Amino acid sequence: MRITAGDVAALERGVALLGSGGGGDTVTAAVLLRKLLADGRSLFVRPAGELPPDARVVPIGVVGATAAFTEKLPGGGEFAAAVAAVERWTGERADALMSIEIGGLNGLLPLVVAEQLGRGYVDADLSGRGLPRLDQFSVAATGRGVAPAALAEPGGQVVVLAAGSDVVIERGTRAFLAGSGGWAAFALAPIPAGELAGCSVPGTTSGALELGRRVLAVGESPPRDALEAALAGSVLARGRVLEVARHLGPGQHGSPGFGRGSVTLADHRDGALLRLEMENEYLLALRDGAPVASTPDVLSVLDHRTGVPVSCDAIRTGVEVDVVRLAAAPFWRDPRWLPVVRPRAYGIDSDPVGAE
Amino acid sequence: MSLRRVLALPGWAVHVRLLAGEAGLDRPLATVQATLDASHLPAVGELTVVARPVAGTDWQIDALLRRCADAGATGVLLSGTEPLTASRLLADRLAVPLLTTGAPPLDLLVEARLLLAAPEVDRADLLLATHRALGDRLRPPEEVVAVLRRLLRSPVAVLDDRGAPLAGEVTGRVRLDEAVPQRTEVDGGVFLAHPVLLQRPAMWLAAELRGNEAARADVVPPALAVAAGALQRWLLANRLELERDARSRTALLGDLLRLDTEPGADLRRRVADAGWRLGGWHVGLHIGVPAAVDTVARTQEVMRALEVEAVVVEHGDGWTGWVTFDHEPTAERVRALATRLQAAHRALHLGAHMGVGRPHPRPEGLVATVAEALDAARLAATRPETGHFLHVDQLGMAQLLLEWTRTDTFEPAARALVAPLRSVPGDLVRTLSAYLDAESSIAETATVLGVHRNTVAARIARIEQLLGVDLSRPDERLALHLASRAVILSEE
Repeated sequence: MRITAGDVAALERGVALLGSGGGGDTVTAAVLLRKLLADGRSLFVRPAGELPPDARVVPIGVVGATAAFTEKLPGGGEFAAAVAAVERWTGERADALMSIEIGGLNGLLPLVVAEQLGRGYVDADLSGRGLPRLDQFSVAATGRGVAPAALAEPGGQVVVLAAGSDVVIERGTRAFLAGSGGWAAFALAPIPAGELAGCSVPGTTSGALELGRRVLAVGESPPRDALEAALAGSVLARGRVLEVARHLGPGQHGSPGFGRGSVTLADHRDGALLRLEMENEYLLALRDGAPVASTPDVLSVLDHRTGVPVSCDAIRTGVEVDVVRLAAAPFWRDPRWLPVVRPRAYGIDSDPVGAE
Repeated sequence: MSLRRVLALPGWAVHVRLLAGEAGLDRPLATVQATLDASHLPAVGELTVVARPVAGTDWQIDALLRRCADAGATGVLLSGTEPLTASRLLADRLAVPLLTTGAPPLDLLVEARLLLAAPEVDRADLLLATHRALGDRLRPPEEVVAVLRRLLRSPVAVLDDRGAPLAGEVTGRVRLDEAVPQRTEVDGGVFLAHPVLLQRPAMWLAAELRGNEAARADVVPPALAVAAGALQRWLLANRLELERDARSRTALLGDLLRLDTEPGADLRRRVADAGWRLGGWHVGLHIGVPAAVDTVARTQEVMRALEVEAVVVEHGDGWTGWVTFDHEPTAERVRALATRLQAAHRALHLGAHMGVGRPHPRPEGLVATVAEALDAARLAATRPETGHFLHVDQLGMAQLLLEWTRTDTFEPAARALVAPLRSVPGDLVRTLSAYLDAESSIAETATVLGVHRNTVAARIARIEQLLGVDLSRPDERLALHLASRAVILSEE
């Protein structure tokens, strides 16, 4: 699949939607991608099946505070350093790259890196949506493991996390980020293309592009049913945000937790109260107190007029929004992998509420 | 049983706050259940007490409210939690009462369960508390009101036999002609009243239960009855003193009025003991009231209303009294006094008539001015146009003439003179009297009688025709004026 400058807007909208309120701001990554594709250049995204089975694919992305990424811009060499470190540690060369997380800025930035480093790009990722923790990646859920992996931060430090359980890698990464620039380029060990089918979420870049195209096609302030058709999902509520309450969530292992919060709006159609529970992503939706949707389904909040997804950081009272639900990637509906992304994985004591 | 009723329990009224969902307060309440489980499934008619502390931001509050609504449960009580606006809005939307408390929730649960198991216990508790607070000694109305106000957490008042407040304040009205405990539904509450009986209701005890307290209206009446008993004891004790005092003063006044010589040493001594003065100049006054008015009980009220240093004694159909001056009062001072007495008379609202005598000196003067006041009061009773108030200074000749018309010779003659007027409909005798009082002004007559002036004109024409007189002739006017006045006086 060829991606041109004309596709950037649709791809950006698609990955932002899949971020489920998290995943980081896509603006900087979209600017970089647009610059790269200027003058009619294009880049290719291939399904994993088109690669030789023993071709090596390295998943990359930004980890840490995505807000810091837009404030502390990359120097340009971070990803090269991370990929080189993991190549050196494993002794295998990366034939192609892929994204660790399709939702948010990591849906765009790895494309730029692949082009800059002259590697191929595989149409798959490790999340299928926005996810906050490394130990939630598909490679973690399926037991393949996150380690070894390399981190390169904009200050020049490079760290290889050689071995450890997924939880330990997650914790170690957070500790490293807290002591450095707040974000880092992250590269996992190369995965043989033939094994990707069993440990990654396939077709997510092309899926995000398609989703973005359909949503942009319905224009501003779309009717409810037109929006639902474009999303291939449902509109849970359309209304004005009445309350946004933020508080600190429960910490784990002595470290402070992620910020928690609740967003409540009244549906214009019937006055029903829709409440969203959020952490870095929107995780649970209650309609008049009854849970109606939850992770792993993608819950997004769109500005009612522009249709631009509103992140958990940016949501505030008084704005007119549509709350939408998109079905989770089939990968997460597999009961073996579901526990990693169900509400209880976020400390929310509720069973998953699915689209079915 | 409803949640509203539980909220009126003493512990709940003080410690529990209703945050939202007021529309559901009258849902039936069957049970009060404590839970530690966030995913607790409430039963029909259950008030769920969340016994563990929950963060106000917890979405489980919303989920519990919804499960309550779905299950037909009655409400949710949180412990030490301030929920988000979202949860309050949801409680309102689902009409599920959302409560919070800072007190130990299990104590509240026990109190509510006691009420559910034995509703009479609350009544008995209140009754005992009232009895304990009022039973030990005599208490004036102010203290009874304070005690009840605290126990009922509602406005309480003691009203006199005409419904005017003596202590405390309520907005409701007692039905004074029904001497039984009363219960009236008023806007947003219940108004309870209990008579304090001597032979008739001497006072009323009233309480106004609003908001959640209204749900407790069935518990309160026995407590009011106990408090009314306390007021009754207080009244009886005071009454005895008042009666004794009143009797001796009335007897003393009687002795004074019978005086035709200088008072003896014994009488002087009794007068001094009563704090009265025989020397100086006296202006007598008399207030007459309808028979139904309890004069002994109201003496203090009358003395307060007069606002002058007067002796007031229960006497005849009301009170007789006088004001004493050291020197002969000027005409201006007497007029000012009369004006003040007239204002007091208006303020009393007793349906009374009042007469005021002229200033006279010394003990025999006291007798004279009191006699004048008695006469004036008698006349005032028939004179609505002066507001049932007469001052002898204003009477002059008229008074003398009127006294004369009361003689046996004049009255039959007067009766015969106006007899033709009495055989036809229309209050012609009174119309004639008012017309002549008003110096033949039709408009003034109409105002005094409260009828249209055309009616007055027609009646006057009819009177002239029936009597065959011309009312513009002075002789006939004088005769008819006296006759009509005498007839009216003798009939009242």
